[in-house]
Amino acid sequence: MAVLSTRLSRWSLPMFACALVNLLAAQGLILAGITWPAQPVSAPGTLAAVHLLAIGWLLLLMLGALFQFVPVITSRPLVSQSMAFAALIALEIGLLGMVGGFFGIGAGSAPLAMALPAGGAAVFLGVMIACWNIGVPLLRARPLSLPGRMVLCGLAFLLLTVTLGLSFALALTAPAPERYLAPLLGGVGDHALAGLGGWFTLTAMGVSYKLLPMFMLAPEDRGIAGDAVHILATVGFALAVGAGLARLWSAAEPLAVAEFTGYAAITLAVIIYLWDIVRIYRTRKRTVIEAHNRTAVAAFGFLGLGAALAIGSLVAGRLGAGAPVIVFLIVFGWLGGLGLTQLYKIIPFLTWLQRYGSSLGRGAVPRVQDLVRERRSYPWFALYFLAVLLGAASVLSGHAAGFRPCVALVTVATFGIAIEYLRAWRAHYAQLRHIEAAAPPLRPNQRG
Amino acid sequence: MAADNSLDRESVLEALHEVIDPELGYNIVDLGLIYELEVEAGVIKITMTMTTPGCPAQDYIMSGVYERSTGLPGVSDVQINLVWLPAWSPRLMSPAAKAHLGIED
Repeated sequence: MAVLSTRLSRWSLPMFACALVNLLAAQGLILAGITWPAQPVSAPGTLAAVHLLAIGWLLLLMLGALFQFVPVITSRPLVSQSMAFAALIALEIGLLGMVGGFFGIGAGSAPLAMALPAGGAAVFLGVMIACWNIGVPLLRARPLSLPGRMVLCGLAFLLLTVTLGLSFALALTAPAPERYLAPLLGGVGDHALAGLGGWFTLTAMGVSYKLLPMFMLAPEDRGIAGDAVHILATVGFALAVGAGLARLWSAAEPLAVAEFTGYAAITLAVIIYLWDIVRIYRTRKRTVIEAHNRTAVAAFGFLGLGAALAIGSLVAGRLGAGAPVIVFLIVFGWLGGLGLTQLYKIIPFLTWLQRYGSSLGRGAVPRVQDLVRERRSYPWFALYFLAVLLGAASVLSGHAAGFRPCVALVTVATFGIAIEYLRAWRAHYAQLRHIEAAAPPLRPNQRG
Repeated sequence: MAADNSLDRESVLEALHEVIDPELGYNIVDLGLIYELEVEAGVIKITMTMTTPGCPAQDYIMSGVYERSTGLPGVSDVQINLVWLPAWSPRLMSPAAKAHLGIED
C-alpha cells in the first residue's frame, strides 16, 4: 500500500519559517524606534511593521495552517500543492514591495512609492491563489462542519480586507483615481477590523473548534453555542465593517445603529466563544494536556482582554485613541500567541509525518511528543505573554518609554520559541533520546 | 502461498501493537482503533477507524497497518476497510491506554 500524500501539506513548514522571519523583522522595526509608539500610527515605519505582522507573520501562519488543516476537515485534498508555493512567493514578493513602498512614501520617492500598489497587487494575487486552493475543497465538501463554515466566512473577509488594502495603496500613490478613492482612506480602521476580526479571529475560532477537541479528546459537537459564535461573529463583523465603510460617504443615522449593533454582536460572540472554550477544557478526556494546549490559555485570555478594552474604549468614546494598544494585544497576545503555541504542536506533527510517517509498521518510530521537550518551552512562552502584557500596560499607564524594552523581551522569547521549533524540526530531542536509550546504564561507581 | 498455521487473529493483533497513533503516542490496538479483524486462509481483513475523521496521519497509520500485517509469515493478502461509524470514542481504549493518557473511566 503506497502512502497517499494528499493529507500532508508540503509548503506549510516553509510558510511557517517565512512567517517567523517576518515576525522577527517587524519586532526589529519596533526595537529600532521607527514605529508606534515612538512614531505616529501613520508613520511609514509603523505601516511597514503592521503589514509585516499582518501579512508576513499572521497571514502566512494562518495559510500554512489552513493548507494542512482544510484537507483534515473536508477529507479532500487541496487543489494543488504548487498553488500553495505560488501563493507563498506572491505574498513574500508583494510584502517586500509594500514595505519598500511605505518607506518610499515617507522618503518622498515617487518611484519607490509605486512599489506599494505593485506589492499590494502581488499580495492580492497571492491571496486569490490561496483562497482558490483552500476554498474549492471547502465548497466541494458541503454541507460543512462548524469549523469549515467559519473558515469559509473568514476567507470572504480576507478577500474584502485585501481589496480594501489594494484600494488604499492606489489612493495613496496613483494621482488620477485619488479623488474617487480618497474617502476610503478614512476606512483604515474598518480595513483592520475586517482583517484582524473577520478574517483572522473568525478563522482562528473555527480552527480552534476542531483542534482543541481533537488534541484534548473533548466533544467536538459545540451545539448551539458554536452556531451562535459563528453567526454572531460573522454578522457582527459584516455589520461593523460594512456600516463603518458606508459611513465614509453617508452620515445616515441607521448606519451608526448598524455599526453599533455589529460591535454588540461581536462582543456577544467573543463572550460565548470564551465560555465554550472553557467548556472544552473542562470536558476534555485527557486530564494531562500538552504544552500547546496549556499555553494557549494565555492567548484566549488576551482575546478577552483585547475585547474588553475595545468595548471600554468604545463606550468611553476613545476607540481611536485606544486602538493601537488593542491592536497590539490582539496581534501579539491573541492571534500571535495562539499561533506560536499551536505551532509548538503543528511543527513537530508535520515533521513526524515527513520524517517517520512512511516508516510506520516497518520498525520502531518515535512519538510526536518525543520531538519536543515541553519543560524547555514553558519559560519562553511565559516570558512572551508576560512581556506582551507589560508592553500594553506601559502604554496604557502613560509610560510609553517602557514599551520597547517589553518588545525586546517579546523578541527574546520569540527567538527562544523558534529555537525549540528548529530542534523539533531537526528531531534533535528524538535523536538524544535514541542515544540515551542506547547508552549502557551507569554503574553506581561511575560518574554521569 | 500456503497459509501459515501460526497466523491467527491473536498473532496479527500482537503485531499491530507495534503500530502507533503518532499524536496520542500509543498503539492502535489498545487505543481501540481496530474494530474487526478476521484471518482466513492467509488473508487478513481489518475494519478500523481513526480518532477523528480526516486525521492527518490517517494514510500513514493505514500504511503502517498494511506493512506490519504483510510482514507476517503466511500472509497472502491484507484488506483494510476504514470506517467512521461507529465513531471512535476514548471509551474504546484499553485500561492501559487510558492510564497512559490520563483518561478516567
